[in-house]
Amino acid sequence: MKKIITLDINHEHYEVAVEPNQTLLDTLRYQLGLTGTKKGCEVGDCGACTVIMDGVTVNSCLVLAMQAEGRQITTIEGLETKEGMHPLQTAFVEKGAIQCGFCTSGMILSARVLLDKNPEPTEEGIRRGIAGNLCRCTGYQKIVEAVQSAADGMKEGHQ
Amino acid sequence: MSQYDVIGTRAPRVDAPAKATGRAIFVDDMSMPGMLYGALLQSPYAHALIRGIDVSAALKLPGVKAVVTHKEAGLVKYGVSPARYDETIFCYDKVRQVGDNIAAVAAVDMATAVEAASLIKVDYEELPAVFTIEEALADGAPLVHDDYKRNISAEVHQEFGDVEAALKECDLIKTTSLKSKRQDCAFIEPQGCIATYDLSGNLTLYSSTQTTHYVQRSLAMALGAPVGKVRVVKPYVGGGFGSKASASHLEMAACLLAMQTGKPVKMIFDREQVFLHGRARHQFVHTMTTGVKKDGTIMALKHEAWLNGGAYSSFGIATVYYAGSLLGGPYKLPNMKYDGYRIATNLPACGAQRGHGGVIARSCWEQQLDMIAEELGMDPLELRLKNIMTAGDVTCNDLDMSSLGMKECIEVVRDASDWKNKKGKLPQGKGIGMACGFFVSGAGFPIYRSETFHCTVTIKVTEDGGTAIVSTASAEIGQGSDTTFAMIAAEGMGIPLGMVRIESGDTDFGVDLGAYSSRQTLMTGQATKQAAENVKMQVLDALSKELHVPVEDMDIKKGYIVFKKDKPDLSALKTRYIKEHREWTDNPSLDDELSFREASRIAFFTKGTIVGTGMYKPPELGGKFKGAAVGTSPAYGCSAQIAEVSVDEQTGRITIEKMTDAHDCGQAINRTSVEAQMHGSMAMGLGEALFEEVKFDDKGRLLNGDLAEYKMPTALDMPPMEALIVESHEPNGPYGAKEVGEGNIMPTIAAVLNAVHDAIGVRIHELPLNPERVYLAIKEYREKNAKQ
Amino acid sequence: MLLPKFEFHEPKTVDEACQMMAEYGASAMVLAGGTDLLVNMKKKLLSPQHLIAISRIEELKKVDSSPFGLKIGACLSVSDTASSDAIGKKWGALSAGAKALGSPQIRNLATIGGNLGTASSAADLPPSLMAYGARVVLKSSARERTLPLEEFFTGSKRTTLADDEMIYEIQIDEPAPYSGAGYESLGVRSCQDIKIVNVASFITLDGPGGIIKSARIVMGCVGPTHLRAHSAEKILVGEKPGEAIFARAGELAMQDATPRGAAFSRASAGYKKDMVGVLTVRTLGTAWKEATGERN
Ligand SMILES: Cc1cc2nc3c(=O)[nH]c(=O)nc-3n(C[C@H](O)[C@H](O)[C@H](O)COP(=O)(O)OP(=O)(O)OC[C@H]3O[C@@H](n4cnc5c(N)ncnc54)[C@H](O)[C@@H]3O)c2cc1C
Ligand code: FES
Ligand code: FES
Repeated sequence: MKKIITLDINHEHYEVAVEPNQTLLDTLRYQLGLTGTKKGCEVGDCGACTVIMDGVTVNSCLVLAMQAEGRQITTIEGLETKEGMHPLQTAFVEKGAIQCGFCTSGMILSARVLLDKNPEPTEEGIRRGIAGNLCRCTGYQKIVEAVQSAADGMKEGHQ
Repeated sequence: MSQYDVIGTRAPRVDAPAKATGRAIFVDDMSMPGMLYGALLQSPYAHALIRGIDVSAALKLPGVKAVVTHKEAGLVKYGVSPARYDETIFCYDKVRQVGDNIAAVAAVDMATAVEAASLIKVDYEELPAVFTIEEALADGAPLVHDDYKRNISAEVHQEFGDVEAALKECDLIKTTSLKSKRQDCAFIEPQGCIATYDLSGNLTLYSSTQTTHYVQRSLAMALGAPVGKVRVVKPYVGGGFGSKASASHLEMAACLLAMQTGKPVKMIFDREQVFLHGRARHQFVHTMTTGVKKDGTIMALKHEAWLNGGAYSSFGIATVYYAGSLLGGPYKLPNMKYDGYRIATNLPACGAQRGHGGVIARSCWEQQLDMIAEELGMDPLELRLKNIMTAGDVTCNDLDMSSLGMKECIEVVRDASDWKNKKGKLPQGKGIGMACGFFVSGAGFPIYRSETFHCTVTIKVTEDGGTAIVSTASAEIGQGSDTTFAMIAAEGMGIPLGMVRIESGDTDFGVDLGAYSSRQTLMTGQATKQAAENVKMQVLDALSKELHVPVEDMDIKKGYIVFKKDKPDLSALKTRYIKEHREWTDNPSLDDELSFREASRIAFFTKGTIVGTGMYKPPELGGKFKGAAVGTSPAYGCSAQIAEVSVDEQTGRITIEKMTDAHDCGQAINRTSVEAQMHGSMAMGLGEALFEEVKFDDKGRLLNGDLAEYKMPTALDMPPMEALIVESHEPNGPYGAKEVGEGNIMPTIAAVLNAVHDAIGVRIHELPLNPERVYLAIKEYREKNAKQ
Repeated sequence: MLLPKFEFHEPKTVDEACQMMAEYGASAMVLAGGTDLLVNMKKKLLSPQHLIAISRIEELKKVDSSPFGLKIGACLSVSDTASSDAIGKKWGALSAGAKALGSPQIRNLATIGGNLGTASSAADLPPSLMAYGARVVLKSSARERTLPLEEFFTGSKRTTLADDEMIYEIQIDEPAPYSGAGYESLGVRSCQDIKIVNVASFITLDGPGGIIKSARIVMGCVGPTHLRAHSAEKILVGEKPGEAIFARAGELAMQDATPRGAAFSRASAGYKKDMVGVLTVRTLGTAWKEATGERN
């Protein structure tokens, strides 16, 4: 039976009627039009559906919409500000870290949480941080470089 | 200083901002009013007769709008190679693999469609099945297709020179083999599509494909529609690598359902279906015998290959040809004999994947060359240099190396990796290895024989002259082709990249065979360059008439008209432009300069919309023998790679410490994108070398149809990779450019095999090098040594 | 991949959850992180009629450390388990197991209770927990019982949990002085990998430089459930720690392992056995270092 719940996504409140067996991923994509969150496997293996929930990354294909009620959710659509793209997004564009782009949303969100926790990650630290996001195109090299470059840039920005 | 303004830079990709912000639209992101959802009914058996199909219960389920089987679809045979059209949209007499398609349902939502498909009753009579090459070839083995005697779906027999005679003159003759496993393309976006059908009989398919053109043709053929009524549009695509290079049953079924219902129909594969219908890399078994002189001169290669092809032919004929022909270079090899067999089995069909047909053959040979070098007491890198081809050489099987920076690539990786101080000198458990490879930049013919252009491009300048719109049916699937063509167009017109907008991937934009065989940069690039130069000429021609300056005395650079001799008086033109410009917000350029925008606006007054066109088809290529079309290409990219590894000898686990890669791409159009292709190729090669293997049980059912148990590399499995660009300036390529997308995967596996040997002294002749295989190889090696 | 239909319940307290479980019995399942349960439901291997979501009940997310030991709520996430200082300081092998599990995203969802509830012999947390001699506290509306984790697992994917019962907390005693533990797992990839073999070892010495007073070695993926390497443990007791005796223990552990030679499993039985030997030696080495104060 459908139930109306309120989801807090990118600091906006959405009232949606959801079935118990509906995932957060499907709700974002097919009900709310937030299609930046991608679907690659539906069982937690690829990380394309990564969103930030209460400050940590999760696979939205393994979260029920009803479980997400009352939590703060950030999707790729929530990263831009009035000033434009988030430094990570800019770095991904400039460093060539994007090929097909299907992993990109999840990758950037994982990197975002990584940098929130550790603004000066090592290369190994970056690889650990994005280890749950599979990318078939890049071999991760330019992604790692982009995260490093964003971290450097953000540090300078703070000083 | 580069002679180019746009080419050779690191311009950010034109599609990157959309992808970085989640704005880029992929097919599953689309929806349409009234859209229905489709589901397939697939065979649970690997081989069975179909006795009957009863769809009545499915039709009765509320919400179901259509159910289609072979009755509605018809029995037109289609496939990839016209010589082996062996598929119908739905099975009618029997199923040949688990997952074979029997029926499709369209319903108001996905849950209903899936439920309805499960209500279709099929009466099967199971048949004995064959899964391995040995089983398929056994006496009395059941036939997958009645037409393929002994289950051989294709065979190749070629000899160039006289191998037996040459072997007699050799000082060392070595025979080795290599067995690989089936790999999957494992792109992150599963295939999907939306089909629509309008009241005038126009069928439009939005699909995650690499080849809109072939999909269009296949749909028209299988559905019996005029080609002109079929349009295929490619939104952003989340990787292809070969699996999205031919029309799929999903696309066929969606179109059929849309035609039946008159509504848009969406169908998306789940991950298991990607594995079942991916048609990715075959399993290969190669045996090679190479003869060399004492000084390392390679004399002859005798080569036999067996491919497990699965239930349908798909790209398989090309695959089995490539497996032989791509050994013709990059070493001087006067004599080569090849016998290749592609075997039909009751496993899911195989097709093309990055490095089509050539990867395992290359791996086998490059490992063997290392063993030969060792026996001759030579540095394996020197052995390669000794035999290396250079620009202008033609292989024994007629591949013309019109440019070839192979030698430079070897030298570059040798120096960058400090090879000389590492090879043979690293501690036990650590090793370094190298290998080379090359690949085509497109093929001489489409998959079907035709005189068609392989691509046509149009560039249209907007009325104000401020934007040039490049239209091409080529496929941006992640490799960066949109950016490449936008850059070529900008360079060709002499304007900044920011003034170019590209639209691609729609059959309405012209003809383009699509993204496969690493063809687009060279071929679509040539057509784009031609179209751009055509636009430039038209603008200059109009200007010439206004200013009375000969066209030859003008050029366009960085968005401005360059007057090679005296600058004419521009004031009249300027005044005209300013008058024309009154209510427009963009300002005219400085008084003494004339911009492309101003010039194009003036040109518009006399010529109307400026449209430049370009087209390309390869010139006549070498080779008159049977199968010469598979391997001959206008140009060849090549690369040398060095892998550094460490091996945990107690567990057999390999860690790749570093990869150093040099690739000759002729001319980098976009340096960042070239490196990115090099990285991606290495990643896929390392996955195949170390982990990847699609597994089946003894009933032909998938054992690891997910990305947990099918193990592609994660960020933690990948080493730092150094990508070094070599530019040999290909005469047949646009601005000297040729392929980069596939040549780089050719050396990867062998570089790892050779590095592992350097680390632990063990040669392994089966992939992948997962911990257990390496551990057992070490154990066997030690036991053998202990006995001696 | 659609989830089958079910009714969703999200009780606020443990008592409420237990009442629901009593009411729905076998038709209900507990949903913690969902990283096993929802996957199995999508694959149509399970289709409970009711899901009782417990991952937001605060009481189940605690880490209470006292001089006597540790009490961990069943819904502590695996990532919190990995990063908890309280756990890392004294129960490093458990942290190591938590760090080896899945991916960052999975660890954020997955819970320690769920890792036990799944009862997979490849799971990353049970070896260390069993090596430390952990107990589980099980609760239902009618009763509460505490039992050693070893007795909790009864077979592949089987536990002693009754239909109306949930894992409430996990208790681990403070390790005795001069003891240490190690955990090692082997996968094909570096992460995101269900393991081929995993082993945890725990030893206690009778003093600095002394003999081994007690030892527990737990092996995964080599039996229907995690197994103790009893004969390896026996040979260690009374001996001075060192490479030779660890190697002997490794050999005996291989004999204690009973991997199935399933044709389609991740690795052959022979390889798994050999790897039990290797990982046993390695984990004993780590344990020894810790026991002698060389923690890092
Ligand atoms: C991509 C991926 C990778 C993974 N990698 C690993 C890995 O490397 N190592 C590993 O060990 N596991 C791995 N897993 C499995 C899984 O993440 C873990 O087992 C996890 O700890 C399960 O916890 P959960 O909270 O998600 O459990 P759930 O899925 O919520 O529950 C699992 C089972 O336990 C029951 N249960 C949960 N909590 C309780 C409770 N408090 N009381 C009673 N019963 C309960 C549930 O009813 C269910 O039967 C992986 C899973 C995925 C999807
Ligand atoms: S779609 Fe969720 S992890 Fe792949
Ligand atoms: S860019 Fe294609 S999957 Fe990462």
